[in-house]
Amino acid sequence: MQQNELAILVDAILKKVAHGDGYVIVRAESRRERSLRLSNGRLERVATGGDEGLGVQVFTAQGVSGFASADVLSLETGLRLVERALSLAQRNERLGAKNNREIWKAKPLQAEVKNPARSFGEVPLAELQTRCLALHEGVRKAFPEAVWQSSFRQVEDSWCIGRSDGTRVSFTIPRAVLMHQGTVHQEGKSASTLVHRSGTDAQILGEEQTDHRLERKAAERAELARAVSTAPFLASGHYPLVIDYGLAKGLAHEAFGHAVESDHMQESVLGEQGKLKRGLKVARPSVHIMDGPLPGDWAYQPFSANGLPRETVRIVQNGILEAGLGDIFSAAEAGMAVSGAGRAESYAHVPLPRMSNIRLIVDEAAEFQESGTLMGDVRRMREVLLERGEIKAGEKTLLLLGYRGGQVNPKTGDFVFQCEGIVDLGDEDLRIYRPSIFSGKILSALQAIKLGVGAEAFDAIGTCGKGGQSVPSSGGSSRFIFLEVSDQVSLGGEG
Amino acid sequence: MRLVAQLEELLYHFQVRPDDETLRLKGWRIFIHEMKSVALGIKDNSPGSVYTPPTYREGERGEVFLVWADGRLSQAKVQAKPPEVKDPWIEELRGWRQAAYEDPEGGRIVKPAPLPLAAVEDERLEKILAGEDEVLFAQLERFLNEKPDKAKLQAQISAAWGYRHVRTSTGLAVTYQESQYGLSFSFDRLVGGGFAKRRLIEPEEWEDVWQNTLLHYEALQEFGPAPGSKTAVILAPAVAEEMLGQYILPNFSGQNVLERRSAFAKERFEQKEGVFAPEVSLEVDPLRPFEWGSYLVSPEGVPAERTVLVGKGALASPLLTVKDAGRWGASPTALPQGTSGLYLSHTREEDWERALQGVDDGVLVLSVLGLHTQDSVSGDYSLSAPQSLRILNGKFAGRVDVKVNGNFFKDLAHPAVRMAKTQRNVMPYLWVQSGMQSF
Repeated sequence: MQQNELAILVDAILKKVAHGDGYVIVRAESRRERSLRLSNGRLERVATGGDEGLGVQVFTAQGVSGFASADVLSLETGLRLVERALSLAQRNERLGAKNNREIWKAKPLQAEVKNPARSFGEVPLAELQTRCLALHEGVRKAFPEAVWQSSFRQVEDSWCIGRSDGTRVSFTIPRAVLMHQGTVHQEGKSASTLVHRSGTDAQILGEEQTDHRLERKAAERAELARAVSTAPFLASGHYPLVIDYGLAKGLAHEAFGHAVESDHMQESVLGEQGKLKRGLKVARPSVHIMDGPLPGDWAYQPFSANGLPRETVRIVQNGILEAGLGDIFSAAEAGMAVSGAGRAESYAHVPLPRMSNIRLIVDEAAEFQESGTLMGDVRRMREVLLERGEIKAGEKTLLLLGYRGGQVNPKTGDFVFQCEGIVDLGDEDLRIYRPSIFSGKILSALQAIKLGVGAEAFDAIGTCGKGGQSVPSSGGSSRFIFLEVSDQVSLGGEG
Repeated sequence: MRLVAQLEELLYHFQVRPDDETLRLKGWRIFIHEMKSVALGIKDNSPGSVYTPPTYREGERGEVFLVWADGRLSQAKVQAKPPEVKDPWIEELRGWRQAAYEDPEGGRIVKPAPLPLAAVEDERLEKILAGEDEVLFAQLERFLNEKPDKAKLQAQISAAWGYRHVRTSTGLAVTYQESQYGLSFSFDRLVGGGFAKRRLIEPEEWEDVWQNTLLHYEALQEFGPAPGSKTAVILAPAVAEEMLGQYILPNFSGQNVLERRSAFAKERFEQKEGVFAPEVSLEVDPLRPFEWGSYLVSPEGVPAERTVLVGKGALASPLLTVKDAGRWGASPTALPQGTSGLYLSHTREEDWERALQGVDDGVLVLSVLGLHTQDSVSGDYSLSAPQSLRILNGKFAGRVDVKVNGNFFKDLAHPAVRMAKTQRNVMPYLWVQSGMQSF
């Protein structure tokens, strides 16, 4: 169903519903997608499909809610879901559920954001197969010692959100990603790498065929994986660290962004008695963190899943905690402004406050000319840091390359990240170590940030798993970030 | 039932007398999951908050797999369409044809075979979905009434009931009912418990999971003495299960083995190479009554049967889909649903209560951060475990914050590998050889 058809359906449902003293939010979503998976030079799978349906959240007059969803887009289904959600809300009220009438305070909004991408099917599937096979062959030739699996996924995700107050917002988010995953076996040991290139549509395949940027990155990462597979473990301890912008996105997202989401304030290490600790010094004055949607980005979303504009939030300014990511339901209670932070995996999920594109920005930045190769960049990085006197030859300074994901406990402030490999910048020969867990306390990690190196890049992508949902996330920083040694931030240990 | 009937009629028609010869089918397979579910939640001691309201969900969706007359293949996700849509599938079929691809090894449709008996449906859950859901609300209230005074409780209870339909061009037509029930809860987001089966929880099971979690929660309130170099590291069943998910599933995937993306090469399976200690076995058993991972027939139409992956420490079989089985030269195997249906065992499994009493110096790892970030193929792990319990002289002795490092394959291969179980857990407590640092 198209974006305008979703809006007509949501309108029809809300017009037929007797709102009374209660409140209704209707979310209609229609997502179509196509994906290709290739392995060892052959197509493994070509799949088409999608998902569409309705999610309805109904509030009683007291502000107690129930939720119902179904994977059919029809008026009859919508009306039935409203009844079911109301019945659950009423039962919930008898249970003594906590009231929340904040949605009544939201301002009505009517807005529409058109799909910024090219037509979903502009590149026919047969052509997609040809292009993907060529790109897959390219990476196999670029590093034949690895076993390669490639995949391409293109999604067009249309939403309309309507509310009892007359709000109707609709938008379409296009996403496309090309990935190469390589596995390297060396002396009976193995290691793997995963690289990706994202955009809004199948044009990324053409771009990749022109510049081979991902192919080169894949080959370089595979070379690193080969070296890592037989490399020694690093002794656990506290070291000066350099992280690439993928890891910096992970740090900002996992270690900090989650801790300022309004629904976490009751237990967040950045909350006090349920309120955001506004004014808390969390980093050097040169460090800033912001979150907000960027058009064309993997995690772009112009409106919240509750029908409010998604705003860009300056979370940390000049090292001071200034604001949080607030959705309409818990922002006031958490002592922060509503920024339209509610996002949901799909129509069938209840929205939660979460990030979109989170950026870690450091004013103090060293210039850095990219060399065109991974290890060339690493060597230049070493030179830049040595010249600035940030590191000393012979003293371990560890560069963490390739973000593999992370996790944080917002209550305790504990975070962990994993990378694909570690390089010692203090060593003239740039000794490589096997990855080990990068962990610590989130505030200590932020306070350790001293310097950015190179141009900013905000296209590190991932999937946020908060609340058991899977929602696109993204972000970045300067090409590299230098962290001073901290006794509350450590690298893993020997096996 | 409407969706599977529509698709069956459509695909049979285009197999036997297509209106358009370019759309002629040689074979096909349909898998549809028809489901209703209800879920209740508690967030920060508040039942049914705006983030965890009572939730009802219904859906009818699945996948079609098509073999066209020219041997090309198509796969597509499908879901129910509104009744007012006329001829909903003809245009879809044309789209599926456009998406056809060549895969000479992928076009096999299995023939019907006798189905096993396995209990996967609890009528009590059908009644809950029909509206008799007071039992779930009562369980939610019980959580609130019995939680420790100072604890912040998070909880979720869910029940689901529905049908699975599998149809093939070779004559398989199976529809069966299934149900699911799950509960999970945590105190202060630090320690939690859970239960997931295809039936409602029994009172003694509730008591068991609740008391065990309380015991851990109380023990975590004080800090314990730091572990030493000889301290035993024991993974709680939930952590052991996560390890299986991270290291066993990807490395036993038949496709990964065949394409050299696994830690284990095909030849090692053929030679039945010993990779774990001889006391250790690993199997997929989809026939155990009311277990979450049990089923009657796979979405590919393969009847459920027990499959040994590692027998007495030796590689026995990878996990084989229909396509991978053809490439391997074997029959398709049972497939776990996530880690559900996967069972790790030791020939000398101990009773956990008794084994605990014998631990003079140990650490019980209740949860780990970052396991999903580890490299599956190498088996290496380097994990933070800030909520771990010190064990001294057979008793819990406070909380310790540790990091554990090691290799999961080496842990299972080590001569000193030990496992202990309770009556409730299908997954064991697992002694591993991790290096450990405390903070």
